[in-house]
Amino acid sequence: MRALRWLLVPLLVVPVTWLLFQGFGRDPREVASPLLDREAPPWTLTTLDGETLSSDDLAGRPYLVNFWASWCIPACVDEHPVLAAAHDRYGDELIVVGVLYQDDTDDARAFLARYGDAGYPHLVDPDGRLAIDFGVTGPPETFFVDADGLVRYRQFGPLTDELMADRLPLILPVAAR
Amino acid sequence: MRRWLPVVALGLVIAVAGIVVTVVTAPGAAPTHAERAAALAAELRCPDCQGLSVADSPTASAREIRRQIDELVAGGATDDEVRAHFVARYGEWIRLAPSSTALWLIPFGVVLAGGALLVAWLLRRPRSSAMQDATPTEAQRRAVRDEAEALDA
Repeated sequence: MRALRWLLVPLLVVPVTWLLFQGFGRDPREVASPLLDREAPPWTLTTLDGETLSSDDLAGRPYLVNFWASWCIPACVDEHPVLAAAHDRYGDELIVVGVLYQDDTDDARAFLARYGDAGYPHLVDPDGRLAIDFGVTGPPETFFVDADGLVRYRQFGPLTDELMADRLPLILPVAAR
Repeated sequence: MRRWLPVVALGLVIAVAGIVVTVVTAPGAAPTHAERAAALAAELRCPDCQGLSVADSPTASAREIRRQIDELVAGGATDDEVRAHFVARYGEWIRLAPSSTALWLIPFGVVLAGGALLVAWLLRRPRSSAMQDATPTEAQRRAVRDEAEALDA
């Protein structure tokens, strides 16, 4: 019994303390998306250029849905070239779609003018309805949708070249090299 | 001290059971559409806030979620259907309170288990000398008497 009491400290207190400390390094919003391996929400929205784009237009092709905002600094600035590079590299094989998250369209245009407009479309989501359909809690968040229209991966936070190389093969077999 | 322990333990059990019953049998949602929508908004987490419900938040997301709740309730959706609509998008995280009532029992269970351990520990602990039976043995009586006689002599 006495020996057991001394075991209590390493067996109970240490793991519990470790577990609680783990919580400090994590964002409480970063929970598994219920959308994983399910059909991506459908949408029809207007782009920054004033054109209408629908998820049906992308049927049969893998695509990225990237929620961003001009006020999301530095994360959205950091990942911007990563998305632009993917768009440049894969062209029609991979559709990149930006979605403005609670952002002013003029501010978004200014952001693109400053950090470079790679030419992929950016959807205006005035009520944030699409963000809610995707369960977005804050930019940047990126959803990887495969050619069957299923969500294969959700990136919480900024994309990096390493992440892109690692996760893109999930929806784009050509990217696995 | 020792004879009060069972009373204290019993009191603890009754208090915890009372709280559990109150929580589990709390009244359901209010009847009108507006009241139901307000109650549901208070249950859901504002997705882009820190620890605020959709009802308490002024953000665009919270506004849109409140609008969708109103729309769903007006369209005849049950409270569970409205909750499921948002859980399908954000996961259980969107709910400020866990859906399973069994989860509510965990803290009470932990308190009860801790209380039981404490009681067991107090009962097992060898009683300190101050708490020992004060009635002297015949040998002690004799020793005291002998000592007193020796002093008198």
